[in-house]
Parts: sequence; structure tokens; C-alpha cells
Amino acid sequence: MKNRAALIFGYNDYALEIAKNIRDEYENVYLYSLNSEYDILKNKSGFEIKSFDLSDKWDELNENIDIEKSIAFCVLEDSAENIFLTISLRSSFDALNIIALSNNKQTANKLQMAGANKVIPLVQTTAEMISEMLQKPIVKEVFHNILFESGTLKIAQVKIDENNKYIGEAISDIDWSRRYGVMILAIVYEDMSTEFIYSSKIKHHIVNKNDLFIIVGYEADMKEFEKMTGSICD
Amino acid sequence: MNFLSRLVVDGAYFLNTSEAYQRKKRFFYDILENDRFQYKKYFDIFMITLIFSSVIILIVEVKSEMNIYLKFFNVYVISFIFFVEYILRFWISSSVSEIIISRSEHATALGRKFYLYKAIIGVITAKLSFVFSIKAIIDLLAILPFFHELRLLRLFVLFRVFKLFRYTKSFQTFTSVLSTKKFEFFILLMFSSVVIFVSSVLIYVMEAHNPASPVNTFFDALYWSIVTISTVGYGDIVPVTTEGRIVAAFVIIAGISVLAFTTSIIVSAFTEKLDEIREIKTIDNIRKLKHFYLICGYESVAQEVAKKLKNSKITIIVLDEDIERINSAKKDGLIAINYDPGNIDSYKKIGIDLNTQVESILCLRENDVENVYTTLTVRSISRDVNIISLLMDDANRNKLKFAGANEILYPKGLVGMISKELIGRPVAFEVIHALRNDYYGVDVEEILVDERMSQNLVHVSELNNVKFRIVLLGIYKKETKRFFFNPMDGTLLESGDYLLVIGNSAFIREFEKHLHKKIRT
Repeated sequence: MKNRAALIFGYNDYALEIAKNIRDEYENVYLYSLNSEYDILKNKSGFEIKSFDLSDKWDELNENIDIEKSIAFCVLEDSAENIFLTISLRSSFDALNIIALSNNKQTANKLQMAGANKVIPLVQTTAEMISEMLQKPIVKEVFHNILFESGTLKIAQVKIDENNKYIGEAISDIDWSRRYGVMILAIVYEDMSTEFIYSSKIKHHIVNKNDLFIIVGYEADMKEFEKMTGSICD
Repeated sequence: MNFLSRLVVDGAYFLNTSEAYQRKKRFFYDILENDRFQYKKYFDIFMITLIFSSVIILIVEVKSEMNIYLKFFNVYVISFIFFVEYILRFWISSSVSEIIISRSEHATALGRKFYLYKAIIGVITAKLSFVFSIKAIIDLLAILPFFHELRLLRLFVLFRVFKLFRYTKSFQTFTSVLSTKKFEFFILLMFSSVVIFVSSVLIYVMEAHNPASPVNTFFDALYWSIVTISTVGYGDIVPVTTEGRIVAAFVIIAGISVLAFTTSIIVSAFTEKLDEIREIKTIDNIRKLKHFYLICGYESVAQEVAKKLKNSKITIIVLDEDIERINSAKKDGLIAINYDPGNIDSYKKIGIDLNTQVESILCLRENDVENVYTTLTVRSISRDVNIISLLMDDANRNKLKFAGANEILYPKGLVGMISKELIGRPVAFEVIHALRNDYYGVDVEEILVDERMSQNLVHVSELNNVKFRIVLLGIYKKETKRFFFNPMDGTLLESGDYLLVIGNSAFIREFEKHLHKKIRT
């Protein structure tokens, strides 16, 4: 039987941080190393280390991993190798969700061209965080808590199912913040285009089946809200 | 110690500990000598204006009769102001009380007898070193017409023009640059003097006996030599004999070499000192800044941070010991100085006040050792300045905290957290990311509730944010340091609170204006 797994390519601090953070989400987390013999010897992380090389044809993955339900992280320190790895994975697996790490904008563009579904621009993200610390420290703290910390304030995605009682209602008529204590930040339509709740276009939007609402609220309110509306896909 | 000595030493201690006396002396020092003092420039402008007025009056007076009031103004008023300035400079040039105290304490420490006359000699020496400084001599000569109205002494008014040099920094820079080439100028002077002397003697010998020649005296010969060697050549005195013309040819060639030598000395002095001059100018500009961010280390993260902060109203200053990184910062349009951020002397040289001028210090070297070192250095100077540091290896987190960093950013940990969000709530993550970066023209801002606002707006219901299509995400209460999400209408607004609002950037600005204008009815 094929496994649902998180495949992390590269054995370094980034890989270990990713593995630590996602270990609860995936039943199997594998770290792939280019220098496996040495890395296995010094490995104290508790994660299984496998070996790979850039000319790999990924037969083992094909046999054992459920590609559609798995995710791959390309975090090799050498940008050229990371891009090559991304291309190699994409050319073998169309359905694999690939997240890659880039050090600069140029590499980020190349990784996207190589087929990564999502690129984390390391330097840019770090810089954004620092500038937010300086210019909007409260915004930074609040959003950081909402996203990364285990506080009571949460963010969630609510999918409107076909039995939802709000289908057909104009979005401007809905006031969930007072009724349920949750706040809608944005709506993602079926075609995956995003519209923020504050834009003028959205005022006339009629709630449809499969609309995805991005909401913020306290955990308890979220649960109440879930009972009343649709499913929270957290 | 005899009675007189005791009296003098007591008097010195009294002056040295008198707050009023020291405050006054400090004020006059600042206004006369301290370039960082905000009112000094006004004093300088005032003095420059006086000098120009004085010189203009003098020029007009050369050929026409001067108005009696203007004459009085020039001779007495301006001279009196210069005299007061001279006395003040004399006063602040050294501290008499400190010299006496140091002599007295020195004698006590060594168990020797204190001699008042030695202390007085020390005071006189210190004051004379001021009196005989070039600037002080010029100052004194500029006052002389006040005391003597003799025709000859009026020429000394020209010294007032020289006083301008005291107030023009560029001239001081020019002389300091040239002073680095003293030896070269000495050689040039020697060479020119020899050529002038030899050529003067030769031209005098060759020409003086010829009745057709304009060279009649040795002074004529000297004058001709100087005019020729300087390549000016007025033509009022020219050699008429063949021998004299041969001498002239040699002097002309020597003149060209003197000119070329002089030019090359000046150019090389400026080339060598150009970076230093630029640095001095940069430091001067930094000292004048009221608020700025100080980035220590200009590597890739620092470059991105600088790009993001460039649009903010606060200036960014970069400190780095690596010249290539400094050049890169300068290319990016930033103010950058090639000083080591881990060295206390760097901050002393720049002369900035970390507590009042620096908003935050960003230790952004991609090297924990450097960041810890810089943090510790800065913390040893200021206990209060906000320090944000980059952390490359989580094992060093405690070291950075211990060194005194207020906030630490660990990019590797950030990647881990982002990865978790990307697999758990990818859409929600993207939405927040877009919101934070104003991707769709929708922004999230913090609005400070100031004293006035809190008096005119008591409850959340009075904000009227819906009218501006602004969503109030929550209120950050300063007192409790807690964030209240989706506050009830009856929530009290207090001075120091922050409103976290989301909406179109333009609407947020309008909303903020509305909050400031709103008056309680």
C-alpha cells in the first residue's frame, strides 16, 4: 500500500525545522540527503533519512508513495541543485505538490518555472517580517499569533456546502461578526481568485456553493459558527 | 597652603561645581564651537552677515564719503560685537578653575606643596595658546579699528574678511586637506625661493646697466621674477637684453614646473582625502537626523529590509566594516559608513545619541558571532535602544538574548512555520500574506488613539468605520498589552490604544483623517 508522506529533500536546518513543524500533519516524514552515509551517522533528529542523487529516476517514490496526497519540500542549499531537483520531480510527478525554498528573487522565478507549486522566498520573507516588526509591530504580533501560535484567536477556511442557508444571500447583508463573533477577511471563488471583503466589488456578491470564506475568530466562536454554516477546513 | 592659595582653590571649586556658571559656559561653548548645537548655524549666519556688511561699508568708503551712522555702525557696533565674541572665545578656550583644581589635586595626591604661581602659569599658558592661535589673531586684528581710527589701521578691517574663514567649514576642510602635504609644499617653497632669488640676481645683473631696460632696482628684478615664475607675466617689466631674455626663458620653464608641481600636490591631497571628506560630511548629516534606523551589516537580508523601509519616513543608516558591502549600500542610495558596528569607537566617532536618535538597531549580519558582538557593544552604550537581530543557528538564541537583543528573528524557524501553514491552511495563509503586503490595494494598519481622539471618541460604536468600509479587526490595549478581537460597540477607547483596521489603503487614510478631525458634540 502506498504511503501519504512528506518528502523533504536536503538534510540541513531548514529541512529539520520543516520536519518538526509538519510531523503532526503527515504519517511519514522522510528526509532525503545527497550525502546520506555521513548524515545518517550524525542524525539525532529522529526522522528517517534516505539517500537520493540528482540523476534519480524516483522509482522508489513511484512504488511506495501516494504522490497525489503527498508533498515535497526542496530545500537544498545550492540553488542550482535545488532547481534541478524541482525540475526532476515535476517531470516525473505531475500531481506532486512541491514547495521550494529560494534565497533570492531570481532563484524564486526559476523555481516557479521549474514547476514548484509554491516558493518560499527566504530573504524576502525574513525582510518582510523585520520591516513589519519596525513599522507595524502590533499587526505583526497579532497575525503571528493567529497564524503560528496556539492562541485562542484562529484563522480558518470555511467552504460553503450545498445545504448552506446563506446561499443566495448578498454578502453585504451578512453580519457574522456580531452574530457569530467571526470576521470574514476574504472570499476565494471556485476559480481560486481571491476577493477581499473590503473591496467594492464584493458588496454585490451572492453567496454560492463552493465559495471559500477566510474567517478569523476565537476558537469557541468558530465551533459555533461551524455548526451553523458549513464545514471548516482547517 | 596659605590663605590666598586656599581662597583661589576654593573659588575654583565653587565655579567648577556651580551649575549656573557651567550651564552658561556650556551654552556659549555650544553656540561658538559646537557644530551639533542647533542654534550655532544662526549665530554663524549672523556673524557672516556682520562681516559682509562691514566689508561692503569699507569698499564704499574707499571712494565716497560714508554716512555717519553707517560709519558708527561699522567702527563701533560691529567692532563691539566682535570684541564680545573674542572675549567669549577667550573665556571658553580653557577652564581656569579646572587647571587650578587639577594642579591642587595633583599636589595633594603626591603629598607636595601647592604653589599658586605654578597654577597661574598653567592658566596663562593655556590662555596664551588661544591668544596666539591664528584664528584668535585674526579675530583680534578685526577688532583693532574699534580702538584706533588711524588711516593705516583701517586696512586691518580687511582682516574681517579673514574672519569669514572661521564660519565657513569648506575653507577649514580645504586647509586641513592641504596641511597633509606640508612637506611637499615646503620643498616647493624652497625650490621657488631659490629660482626667484637666482633669477632676480641674474636679471638685475644683466639688465640694470642697460638704460633701455625697465629693471632699475633689485626690487624690480624680484617683482619680475615672481610675476614670471607664477606664469602670470603682466608685461610691465620685460627684459630687453639677449642675456636677460635667456634668463627669462629659464624662469618661464621653471615657472611651468612650479605650477605643475603645485597643481599636482593639491590634486593628490584632495584625491587622498576625498573619502575622508565625504565621510566627515556624511557623519555631519547623520548627526543632524532626528530619527533613523541603524542597520549593522549589509548582506542580503539587510538589503531587502532597506528596500522595504525606504518608503518609510525614517532614514536608514548602514554601518559595516566591509568596504564592498558599504559601496553596495551606497549604490542602493543609502547613507553608509565604513565603520565596524561591533566597535564602541565607531559610535563615538559618529557622535550619535543611541537613545534619542536611533529608532531601532538591526543586527543583520548572517553570522551569529558578529550579531552577538554588535548587540553586546550597542547594549554597553545604551540600555534602552531597541535591538532586533537575525539568528542563523537556533543554538545561539540564548547568547543573543543574553547580549541584550529585544527581538530575534530566526529565518529557519520561520520557514518551518510557513511550511506548516502552507500544508494546513494554504488559502488562509496566502490571504494573510497578501493582506500584510498590500497586494490587492487592501492593507492592514494600526491607528494610535491619541489623547485628543480619546476625548472625542469614547466608545467603539462612535468610530463610524463601516461608513468608510473599514473593518475594525480589534483593539490593542496599551495598559494590559492585550489584543481584543472584534470589540463590542460599548468597548471604551483609551489614549494609547491601537486600532487594527483592514481596508482599502486610501479609505484607511480617509478614516484616520476623520478620527483626527472628529469633535465630540
